[in-house]
Amino acid sequence: MKRGVLYCTIFVFISMLLIPFVSAARDIEPVVSTDWLAKNMNNPKLVIVDIRKVEDYKTGHIPGAVNVFFNTWAVMKTGLRNEIPPLDDLADIIGSAGISPDSLVVVVGDADLPPNRSGITRVAWTLRYAGIENVAVLDGGYDKWKSDKKPLSTDAVKPKQTKYQVKVNEAIFAKKGHVIGAIGKAVIVDARGADFYEGKQKLDFVAKAGRIKSAVNLPAMAAYNKDGTFKNRKELSDLAAKAVGTDTSKEIIVYCDTGRLCSVWVFIMSDVLGYKNVKSYDGSSEEWMKDPNAPTEP
Amino acid sequence: MPAELKYKAFLVDKKLIDADPHFVDGCASCHKGDEKGVSREKAHAGFVKRPSSDLKICGKCHDNVAKTYKDSLHFTTAGLRHGVSGRFSSKEQKIFDEKVFQKSCRSCHASCGDCHVMSPKIGGITTGFIKNHQFVKKDDGKTCAMCHGGRVYPEYTGDYGGSADVHYQKGMTCLDCHKKAEFHGTASVYKTKKEVKEKPSCTGCHKIGDEKTEKAKTSHAQHNNRVSCYACHSGGTYRNCYDCHLGKGATSKPGFILGLSPRDKKTVTTLRVIPTVRNTFKAAGIAMEKYDALPNYWDAATHNIKKRTERTRSCEICHVEKQDFLTKDKLLKNGSKANELLLYTPKPIK
Ligand code: HEC
Ligand code: HEC
Ligand code: HEC
Ligand code: HEC
Ligand code: HEC
Ligand code: HEC
Ligand code: HEC
Ligand code: HEC
Repeated sequence: MKRGVLYCTIFVFISMLLIPFVSAARDIEPVVSTDWLAKNMNNPKLVIVDIRKVEDYKTGHIPGAVNVFFNTWAVMKTGLRNEIPPLDDLADIIGSAGISPDSLVVVVGDADLPPNRSGITRVAWTLRYAGIENVAVLDGGYDKWKSDKKPLSTDAVKPKQTKYQVKVNEAIFAKKGHVIGAIGKAVIVDARGADFYEGKQKLDFVAKAGRIKSAVNLPAMAAYNKDGTFKNRKELSDLAAKAVGTDTSKEIIVYCDTGRLCSVWVFIMSDVLGYKNVKSYDGSSEEWMKDPNAPTEP
Repeated sequence: MPAELKYKAFLVDKKLIDADPHFVDGCASCHKGDEKGVSREKAHAGFVKRPSSDLKICGKCHDNVAKTYKDSLHFTTAGLRHGVSGRFSSKEQKIFDEKVFQKSCRSCHASCGDCHVMSPKIGGITTGFIKNHQFVKKDDGKTCAMCHGGRVYPEYTGDYGGSADVHYQKGMTCLDCHKKAEFHGTASVYKTKKEVKEKPSCTGCHKIGDEKTEKAKTSHAQHNNRVSCYACHSGGTYRNCYDCHLGKGATSKPGFILGLSPRDKKTVTTLRVIPTVRNTFKAAGIAMEKYDALPNYWDAATHNIKKRTERTRSCEICHVEKQDFLTKDKLLKNGSKANELLLYTPKPIK
């Protein structure tokens, strides 16, 4: 991943020259390596957010990391799974993790199974939605940190609470109505596996099989190497280009079943690859397939 | 479980055998069998898999614990018996005790080892030693979470209802609220969990009157002793089980139900459906002559607490819309007559 970091650095440098709006505020790479984190752990602006279960966190975690379990960041709302918590709750959650608007946040979780991997990018996306610019994910997650034999701690960290005011970033969030209007205009990306995209399989809670009309398929898990690290920048950029093209100003809407898996490509396309108008359709299939007026295929 | 993992899950830490006082008298002091036996068959002759089911084994050195543990609910599972007893005639009670309780209920009692040595077997499957056969003081995730993994634990982490309990969010686990005395027991013999004096209570940690905001203070003052903490702070739907039949089990559905607590018939609280139906014990020949003596809903200590819920955000949801309150037409069909005593209609705010 050293090469990847190098690419990222060069990329961020170039993009700072070209598109100052996207990256000017970024003071941290969107994907950081375990080596980078080990070297920068003492940066007072750094907040490491460990989203694993409390029990796992207590067994061992990155020194200084605060624990806020995934299920507090993504909740059941109006009958839909994995929704953004009500904004006052979200402000409390961010504040109680000790995050301020100028924090450099690194989200850490298990990078073994698909839901865990996408949980990490989902929390990163939620923080971006809440108005925090400098959000990163740890490449390879806690598993890599451990296998790299980096220091561990079992002392639970009690963060100093902040009063965080949510500044909603609506530009990265798509509602159902917007998606219906965007069919035929925006690129709609289905981040589920091919069987789901093709309508051969569906989850129990999704009303019917199939995809949003006109969607292209780019499975979330295609972004990872076997060990849970991200593929290198070139590979990611090729995958994205094949699915959505190279025009970085085009509107892109990514969805999956609940809004969790799709966060992988939302985060990579917007924060790593520099696509400027990427939205997550958080309601995803769970909401779409319930609506008889929402166009589907096949 | 793959063979390699299985072996790892049951590996006794060698260092322990020399250093830990539990192993001084050899494995056979607890597990019986023949330590000199050279074949697996010989060594395991008379081997006891679950030595701590016999309280005398641990009681040799922990007599103080074993003495009270024998009367604790985790050992007697009396709560399970008591929960249905009210529906039986005395003749039926005898059949139940002999045919059902010993076989179906007592089998889920906790041995000392279930909390201190090995993850309990659920449906015949265990994840193995908590920590290489060490006698650990506590590990909620590998012990409590297993036996209470059907209802309480997933509700608490949000894997069931979709959002984690605020205490879990803040890093608290079971034993931050539930204390040793509740499990080891005291000198008292309890029949149900409600009698357990050592159990935690919300107001034990959150004193009414100490609120940080006016909003919380007034809400609490207006509803103290009339509406339970759960009624307002339960974060969403929780598991309800329906239609239990002996040997077949029940089906579960998420739900949220408000009504009077069957304990006092005056506090409004969250209710949980009890899966016992009229023919639950038919297979054992028990008709439940006094079925209607107990309701089909019980007050629920839900483990999905949130500071803000639909009901802390809106007064109208209860006082005007009466949402989620149990009404006569929402009652279970062919349910107990006692259910009607739990109906409550909130009044409009004056
Ligand atoms: C031969 C005597 C003996 C027997 C039998 C025995 N224990 Fe112990 N146990 C001890 C002693 C001594 C200690 C204190 C060890 C220490 O402080 O390091 C102890 C400590 C413990 C602890 C606390 C460990 C800790 O980390 O502080 C637990 C839990 C425990 N025993 C459980 C059990 C259980 C369960 C059984 C029955 C399966 C059992 N013991 C049987 C002697 C015994
Ligand atoms: C081997 C399975 C098992 C394990 C392990 C277990 N429980 Fe239980 N628990 C039960 C059963 C069965 C009951 C019902 C007993 C009854 O009502 O008679 C129960 C009842 C309870 C109760 C209500 C009764 C009371 O005594 O207050 C609480 C609270 C509780 N358990 C918490 C815990 C916690 C916390 C842990 C971990 C330290 C734990 N349990 C470990 C099986 C288990
Ligand atoms: C339902 C779970 C449960 C069961 C069953 C259980 N214990 Fe415990 N035990 C606990 C908890 C909880 C603690 C306190 C852990 C802590 O807070 O450090 C504890 C602590 C202990 C300790 C440590 C010393 C102390 O008193 O704090 C010993 C020894 C012990 N238990 C022995 C036993 C023995 C012997 C049995 C069976 C007779 C038993 N336990 C059954 C939950 C259980
Ligand atoms: C102080 C008592 C004690 C001693 C001594 C002891 N054990 Fe255990 N062992 C237990 C308890 C308690 C359990 C968990 C089952 C239960 O709840 O009783 C257990 C479980 C096991 C199991 C899992 C059994 C199964 O298949 O469910 C194995 C294997 C085991 N012990 C091996 C050993 C070996 C090997 C030694 C000697 C090095 C040893 N034990 C010494 C108390 C003891
Ligand atoms: C924030 C404190 C708190 C935490 C953490 C907590 N409980 Fe409880 N629990 C309570 C309270 C309060 C009650 C209600 C006691 C009563 O009946 O009045 C209760 C009741 C129970 C009951 C009996 C009621 C029922 O629904 O059967 C069980 C079993 C139980 N808890 C298990 C657990 C387990 C397992 C965990 C960890 C996953 C846990 N609790 C974590 C506070 C807590
Ligand atoms: C063992 C003590 C204990 C028990 C029992 C307990 N709590 Fe808590 N509760 C806490 C602690 C500690 C916190 C976290 C406080 C913090 O970090 O701000 C908390 C937080 C809360 C919060 C969020 C407060 C906030 O400002 O965000 C609510 C609401 C709450 N508890 C309600 C309850 C209810 C309802 C019960 C009973 C089911 C209960 N608690 C039982 C200790 C307890
Ligand atoms: C009628 C509804 C209602 C009931 C019943 C109720 N609460 Fe509350 N509670 C509220 C409201 C409203 C708030 C303020 C929420 C907010 O800040 O938006 C609150 C806030 C809280 C807080 C947060 C902190 C604070 O100090 O400001 C805690 C802790 C709490 N409640 C605990 C309890 C406990 C314990 C009980 C049971 C004794 C209880 N509540 C019963 C409505 C209720
Ligand atoms: C969980 C449902 C629930 C919610 C939410 C709720 N209440 Fe209540 N409230 C009750 C119940 C039940 C009573 C008991 C008397 C009754 O039936 O009205 C009560 C009693 C009262 C009383 C006392 C009436 C009397 O007769 O003494 C007042 C005042 C009150 N509520 C105001 C409010 C206000 C203001 C809010 C919003 C902040 C609110 N309530 C939210 C259920 C609720």
